[in-house]
Amino acid sequence: MAWNKPVIREIECEINMYGP
Amino acid sequence: METEEIPALPRGVRLHYDRIREIWVLLAPERAVTLDAVGHAILSEVDGKRSFGEITQKLAEKFNAPVDQITKDCTGFLGALRARRFLDVSP
Repeated sequence: MAWNKPVIREIECEINMYGP
Repeated sequence: METEEIPALPRGVRLHYDRIREIWVLLAPERAVTLDAVGHAILSEVDGKRSFGEITQKLAEKFNAPVDQITKDCTGFLGALRARRFLDVSP
């Protein structure tokens, strides 16, 4: 697996929170 | 985040594999975030004992990637989780 900038999404009631 | 700081998951926050969505999620009381493979790899190294510097060094070896790049990305990633109280950091 290659390194990529990690992504976080919040699950609310998915909303992008951080990442590319 | 400083090299010598030690990240840890707060009480009540845990990694969980969601079999329905086939993704890793970070669960906290009444809140959750989804993680990609790299995010999961980072948090798998967070044990509340090892320092940020030790974790980034381990990830650099594991992914065969420049430690500077990993440190930069991990700082942003863990900082985002810390801001939302999904992560504790002790000096």
